[in-house]
Amino acid sequence: MLSTLELSPQTLDAEAPVRIAVKNLDFYYGEHKALKNINLDFRDRHVTALIGPSGCGKSTLLRVFNRIYSLYPEQRATGEVILDGRNVISNDVDVNELRSRIGMVFQKPTPFPMSIYDNVAFGIRLNEKPPKSELDDRVEGALRRSALWDEVKDKLRMSGMGLSGGQQQRLCIARTIAQKPEVILFDEPTSALDPISTGKIEDLLEQLKTDFTIVIVTHNMQQAARISQYTAFMYLGEVIEFAPTNTIFMNPHKKQTQDYVTGRFG
Amino acid sequence: MTAVTQTMPAAAAPLRKTPKGTFDIVFRNASFLAALFVLVLLAGIMLSMVVGGWPAFREFGFGFITSSVWDTQNDQYGAWPAIVGTLSTALIALVIGVPLSLGIAVYLTQLAPPWFKQPVATAIELLAAVPSIIYGMWGLFVFVPLFAAYVQVPLSNIVEGLPLVGTVLYSRSPSGLGIFTAGIILAFMIIPFIASITRDMLEQIPSVLRESAYGIGATTWEVVRHVLVPQAGVSIIGAVMLGLGRALGETMAVTFVVGNANRLSASILDPGSTIASRIANEFNEALGLQLNALIALGCILFFVTFVVLVIARILVSRVKTY
Repeated sequence: MLSTLELSPQTLDAEAPVRIAVKNLDFYYGEHKALKNINLDFRDRHVTALIGPSGCGKSTLLRVFNRIYSLYPEQRATGEVILDGRNVISNDVDVNELRSRIGMVFQKPTPFPMSIYDNVAFGIRLNEKPPKSELDDRVEGALRRSALWDEVKDKLRMSGMGLSGGQQQRLCIARTIAQKPEVILFDEPTSALDPISTGKIEDLLEQLKTDFTIVIVTHNMQQAARISQYTAFMYLGEVIEFAPTNTIFMNPHKKQTQDYVTGRFG
Repeated sequence: MTAVTQTMPAAAAPLRKTPKGTFDIVFRNASFLAALFVLVLLAGIMLSMVVGGWPAFREFGFGFITSSVWDTQNDQYGAWPAIVGTLSTALIALVIGVPLSLGIAVYLTQLAPPWFKQPVATAIELLAAVPSIIYGMWGLFVFVPLFAAYVQVPLSNIVEGLPLVGTVLYSRSPSGLGIFTAGIILAFMIIPFIASITRDMLEQIPSVLRESAYGIGATTWEVVRHVLVPQAGVSIIGAVMLGLGRALGETMAVTFVVGNANRLSASILDPGSTIASRIANEFNEALGLQLNALIALGCILFFVTFVVLVIARILVSRVKTY
């Protein structure tokens, strides 16, 4: 049905433990209900893509996992998001600790106004005070992991703002993985990048899923097909269909899903 | 112009009359003159200040700046106490005003609930619009007596006899007037400027940067300290410099509360004077060399504020390229 989509041979481990379990989640922007009764399981060390037209609530769902919505008093969530046996949306969760375990990479690169080295070390230094040599190693490791080391190793002391857009985004990924999170959330990480930079980030995601549970919001269906093992199609704040990516793209059960992935609406 | 109208088809009547070339030339020159006026005005003020102050500079030479004498009977004048007073009141104003302003700006942009944000933001705008004479009157009649009774007297009792602080913070005549009081009033006056500019700068930072700083687990303090303030950094310095420019030149409020003493005291709680307050106090009765000395003081103030403003401009313009 979708000959233009190259579906990579995804190794799916149906036995993989559930890393994040979402149960009966509702989300409100003030009075407006943006997520309606979401139930999803995100499997450990798998890439799950959230797709759907603009405003369907996929980014909102992402922002629930690390509680970034709590910065805004008018936004609230009810239901359960279970990570390691705890409901992360309950009020007694230490959000700073939670956010150091759930990294997030945003649509636009967001280097901090400091050197490349300090950008990567920033997250590490928040939680631990490793000796200089260990810190150096971890910064280098994170930069290598995000395929940026060779490009920046001679200018670690220079401002992170001086890098190109794609490099900045990889710097943000390095900053996130340096903290050794369990889950990494990607909110349209390539939508502001050129195709070459996008390719590099996608390769990177491929590497990262061996160590991290990844949730990615994307508008690019080819991207979802290429890199994810599970895909959830959302529409108007609801999950319409959630299945292995191959099923969603090759053999969707719902007509809406089929219409969306074939480009008939959205 | 005419060639163009001739080639147009007759049916298409011009929608507007061709502007007359002469008016354009008049308009161009008029706006040029308006712009030129600023330069002429500035040059004229500078020139008359230098010419007016020249006799004092010639009479006392470099000693005019370093001398502490201000003796109208013997026509001996030195600017040092007024320069020190100007710089120290401005410095005190910055030390008190900058942290408060940053606190206001950070609270308003990052922490305040919406119902509290607007009243405080409006209050800041209103504070900026209060005329300086009001600050001076309020300072003299309300703040000074309270300051004398509840700060100067107890503080002097505590520090009396102690090394260093016993000198710097001891007030011989706890009247409430003095360099420190002037610094506090100046701080109140510059807070609205620094706070509102800083607030605008922090507001302009994209929320995604703030979210990503929170997103890796930083606390509010860490986000503000390591990400937001450095991001707005240079423009905050620019705002501080603009506040400093105002503090250096402020006349009326300072004249009310600074005590207008001509000698230099080692204590910041003692009365002193600033360049602007000295000029305001003496200008009416000044004649001859005294008048020249006051104008020369004005020259020095002009120079100092000019330098501060130039630095502010450089810093603010650098922010765009950052």
